[in-house]
Amino acid sequence: MHSSIRPNQHVVLQLPSDQTRIVKLVPDTVVHLGKYGSFAANQILGRPFFLTFEILDAPQNDGYQLRIVPAEELHAENLIEEADADGEGEEGESGSATPIPMRTNRNITDDASTQKLTTQEIEELKKKTSGAGKEIVARLLESHTLLDKKTAFSLAKYTLRKRKKYIRRFTVLPLDVGFLTNFLLEQRDAQRTMELRDEHVGLLGCLGNVHHGGQSDLSAISSVRPDGRYFVVDETGGLVVAAMAERMGILYPEEDDEDAEPVESSGTAHGEVESSDKKSTTSMPRHKRPRPMSAQGNTITVIHSYSQPNLSLLKYFGYDINTPDESHPLHTHLKTVSWLQLVDPATDPILSSEPPALSSEELAALKASKRTAYFFKRNRWEKFRAVTDEARAGGFDGLVVATLLEPAGILKHTIPLLSGSAAVAVYSPFIEPLTELMDLYSTARRTAFINKKRELENSRSSEEETLDISPLLEEFTLDPTQLLPPTLHTTRVRAWQVLPGRTHPLMTGRGGSEGYLFHGVHVIPTSANIQAAGTFRKKRKVEETSTPASDRDVEMAS
Amino acid sequence: MPSPFLTPGTVAQADNVALLHLRRDQTIPTILRATDDQNLGYKEGKVSNTRFGSFPHSTLINQPWGSQIVASKVDTGSRGRRGPGNKRKAEEIDVSGTTTPAEDEGSALKKPEAAASGFLHLMYPTPESWTLSLPHRTQVVYTPDYSYVLHRLRARPGGTVIEAGAGSGSFTHAAVRAVFNGYPDEDAPTKKRKFGKVCSFEFHEQRATRVKEEITEHGLDGLVEVTHRDVYEGGFLLGDPETGRSPKANAIFLDLPAPWLALKHLVRKPASGVESPLDPNSTVYLCTFSPCLEQVERTIRVMRQLGWLNISMVEVNHRRIDVKRERIGLDCEGIRGATVFPRSVDEAMQKLRTDDERAKRLRLAHTEGTRVDHPPKEDQTASRDQQQATYDMGRLVHRTESEIKTHTSYLVFAILPRDWSEEDDLKCRQKWPSNKIDAEPKPAPKSRKQQKKEFKELRLREQKEDNEAEQQEEQEQEATEESIAA
Repeated sequence: MHSSIRPNQHVVLQLPSDQTRIVKLVPDTVVHLGKYGSFAANQILGRPFFLTFEILDAPQNDGYQLRIVPAEELHAENLIEEADADGEGEEGESGSATPIPMRTNRNITDDASTQKLTTQEIEELKKKTSGAGKEIVARLLESHTLLDKKTAFSLAKYTLRKRKKYIRRFTVLPLDVGFLTNFLLEQRDAQRTMELRDEHVGLLGCLGNVHHGGQSDLSAISSVRPDGRYFVVDETGGLVVAAMAERMGILYPEEDDEDAEPVESSGTAHGEVESSDKKSTTSMPRHKRPRPMSAQGNTITVIHSYSQPNLSLLKYFGYDINTPDESHPLHTHLKTVSWLQLVDPATDPILSSEPPALSSEELAALKASKRTAYFFKRNRWEKFRAVTDEARAGGFDGLVVATLLEPAGILKHTIPLLSGSAAVAVYSPFIEPLTELMDLYSTARRTAFINKKRELENSRSSEEETLDISPLLEEFTLDPTQLLPPTLHTTRVRAWQVLPGRTHPLMTGRGGSEGYLFHGVHVIPTSANIQAAGTFRKKRKVEETSTPASDRDVEMAS
Repeated sequence: MPSPFLTPGTVAQADNVALLHLRRDQTIPTILRATDDQNLGYKEGKVSNTRFGSFPHSTLINQPWGSQIVASKVDTGSRGRRGPGNKRKAEEIDVSGTTTPAEDEGSALKKPEAAASGFLHLMYPTPESWTLSLPHRTQVVYTPDYSYVLHRLRARPGGTVIEAGAGSGSFTHAAVRAVFNGYPDEDAPTKKRKFGKVCSFEFHEQRATRVKEEITEHGLDGLVEVTHRDVYEGGFLLGDPETGRSPKANAIFLDLPAPWLALKHLVRKPASGVESPLDPNSTVYLCTFSPCLEQVERTIRVMRQLGWLNISMVEVNHRRIDVKRERIGLDCEGIRGATVFPRSVDEAMQKLRTDDERAKRLRLAHTEGTRVDHPPKEDQTASRDQQQATYDMGRLVHRTESEIKTHTSYLVFAILPRDWSEEDDLKCRQKWPSNKIDAEPKPAPKSRKQQKKEFKELRLREQKEDNEAEQQEEQEQEATEESIAA
C-alpha cells in the first residue's frame, strides 16, 4: 500500500509554508494551492509518494507543468554548509594566523528600509519571473542592503522565511493515520479529536495490544475462538478506529494493482469472507456478496452513544459508513453496537422488534417494493442481532477507549466481556478522569472489596448459592479485582532541529492537553471456594502485606 | 505452533511461554512444561518458585489466561543439592530439546496441594510485558519509544521490518506484532499474500544465538529471521551477504553505535552491485536510535548525502504517574499514610485554642495544686469512619513516579521514496494526459442519507402540493357552492 498516488484517493499536500492540505485527487481536475499556484491532478497521478514537485511557469509541449525536485536539490544548502564546515574545521586545526572576526548582530538595526525592493516590485516580479519563485528569493536577497552583515544564523532564517513565502513547491504525502493525526491537530479543531497526538496513537495501540488476529481459517487451534476482536469506544470522529484498523490491516482498501509484481498484491484484510476471490464478487448473485459486519476474527466493535456512530473521518480512507464500499475491508470487519444494544438489548428499538420471518410463498405474494422493504428490515435486524449477541458473548482481546463518557461506566460493562489477560487502554486529554479511575482500582479499595465480598460469601446459606455482588458494585462502582496493574502514562515527543552547528530543540511547539493513558490487564480472580479454604483469618491479615493482593503497599514497605 | 504473543487462545498450553505476574513490574517469564524435563526432583513435575510461593506447572497448564493461581505446598528441601531459583538455567536446558514425552510419568506425578497463602496471575506474553520482564543483555528499547517508532515507521500488517542490533529482543517482539498478518505456511507458500516479517541482525554472536532461541521458544519462527552479522560490513541481505535474498524491507530500525556506517547498504542501487535490501515498489521508512547528539549529526549528514527525505529528529519523554489519596488532618493519628497536621486554618485555630485552654487549665491546676480534669474526648474518628470508608478519604493527588528516564535516545526518522526514472514518468504522462481537464467537476455521488433526505423532501413537497391542490379544490368547490347558493 501507499507506494504510488492513485486516482480518487485522498492525499496530503505539504506546502513550503509547512501547511498541509488534504485533497482528493479526481482525475482530469485542477488542484488549487492558493498563492502557490495550481496544477492538474493528472500530472501527479501514478507517481510515487514523498516526491517534491515544482510548478513551472510554462507548460511543456504536452501540457506537463511540473518538475520533480531531486533530493540533492532539496538538501543543497545543508550539503554545502556541511562541506564548508568540514573545510573550516581543517583550517582551524592547521592554526591559521588571521582569525576571521566573528559576525554578530551588534551592528544590525531593525529597520524596514534594509529591503530595497518594494511590494509593487515584488508583485511585478511574481508576474514576470520564471523559476518557481526562486528568482524572487534571489532578488530579495540581492537587494537586502545589510545582507553581508547578517550572521550565518540570521541569514539562514531570512532565506528560509522568504523561500517559504515565494517558492512554488509542494510535496505529496500519503494520507495515513499519522499524517491525518497531525493535520487534525495542527490545522483543524484539535479538541474534536481530543488533542490526540502521534505518540498517543502509537502508545494507545501498543498498550491495548491491538494487532492483526492472523488467519482464523488456517490455524486449527484458533478456529475454536476467532482471534483479534477488539472493543473500541471512540469520540474522536473515527480517528482511534482508523488507527486501530491500521494496526490490524483493515484500514486500506486492497490494491488491485497491475504495475506491481504478483506477490505485491498485499493481502491486508482477511477473515473467511475476505479470502474469497475479490474479482468474482461482482458476478456473484446478490446474497453471496460479503454481508456487512460479518467477519469472525480481526474485527473492531465500536460501541457508540448515539443511535449512529460518528466515524466520519473514515471517509479519508475510502470508507463512508452511510454508503459502504463492499470491497473495503471495514465493510465486514467494522461492527457497531450502541450502549443500549450492548447493555440492555431488550429495550433497543431495532432489536426488540423482530420482523417476522416470512416463508418463500409469503414472500412471493408480496409486492416488489414491499419485498425490498422486508429484506431491508429483516437484514438489518439480523445484522444487529448477530453483532449484539456476539458482543454480549464476550471473549474480546482488548478494549481501547478515547471518550467523553465516564471511564468507570465503560469499564464496568466491558471488562466482563474481555477474555482473561486482555488489555485495557484508555486515552484522555485530561488527567482527572483517569486519576479517578486509578483510584477506583486502588489497593485500599481492592482490599476493602475483597473483605466485603468474603463477608457476603460467609453470610450465604449454602456454598452452592451463587453470589450476588450487586450490593458491592453499588459501593465500588466496578470490581477492582478484575484489573491489574492499573498504570497511568503520559508521553510527549520533543522535536529538534539538526543543522550543522545549529542543533537545538525547536523553539516553539503546540501546547494544549498533555494527553494521558490508562492501562491495565483483565484478570480473573480465583473462585470464592479456594479463597475461603484458608481458615486462618489472623494469619491471612499478615500475609496480605506479603502477597500480591496489595502490590502497592508491598512496594512501599520493601 | 501459534505464538502466545500473537494468537494466545483461551488457555495456557504446555510448551508455550507464559508470564507469571507477581505484582507491578515484577513478572517472571517461563515455559510451561507438563513434566519435570530437567529432572529437578520435584514430585509435582516442573515448578516455578517465586517469592510468593511455589507453582507447579500442572496448576498452570490449561488454565484460562488471566487466572489467579493459588500457590501450592511444594517440598523444596528434600530434592538433593540443587537449590531452587535456578529457573533461568532451567530454561536454557529447555531449548536443548531433551523433552521426553512421558505420559505415564505424568500420571505418576504428585497432585499439588494448595498452600495457605500466596498467588500469582497467569498472563499471556505481550511485547509490553516481555519488555519489562526480559533478561537484559543490552540497553532495552522501551514501550514509549518503540510504540512511537513503529507508528512512525508505518510498520503495518504484511510489511517487512529490518532491525539491526537485535539486542535484548524487545523491539523484535514489538515489530513482529506490528507486521504480523498470519503464519506463513512453509509447505504451501501462497503467491497471493505477503506475510509480515522481521529481519533481525545482531553482530554479537552470543546475543544472536540467544535471540534465535527465544524466537523459537516463543513460536515466532518464520516470522522473525535472525542473522548473526556485522551490518556495517556485511549489509542486510538474508543468507549470504553478497548473493543472498533481499528482505525487501519497507521499514528499518537501526539501534547501532554508528548507524551512518550501515546506511551505505540501505540504498536503491548499492555501489557494490549487490541487490538492494529495500522493497523496490514501496516507500522506505527509516529510524535510527542513538543516545548521543554527535551520532545524530553524523547520521543526518550521511542521510542527506544519500538522498533521504523528510529527515526529522525527536526524543520521547514518557512518565508514569502515581495516584494516591493524601490525608491530612489532626484526627488522622494512627492511620497509615496519613499526615497529622491541621487540615485548614480553622482546624489550626481550633487546635491553638484548645492548646491554650489546656495550658491555662494546667497552669491553674499548678497554682492551685489540684488535679487536672480532662474534658471528655470527642470520638470524632469513629463518627467519620462510619460516614466514609477509609479508601475514599482524603484528596486524590497524582505525581510523576519517583524514578524517571529523562533521556533514552534520540530518534532520527527519514523517508526514501520509490525510485522514479524518466521512463516511468513518461509512462505516467501517457496514462494520465496532462492536458485533459474536465470543464466541470463531476458531482460527488450522493450518500444514502442524502438520497433519503432528498426523497423525503420531495415527498413533503408533493404532499404539500397535494394539500394545496385539495384546499384549492375545496375552496373552489365552496366558491361554486356559494355561487350556487347565491
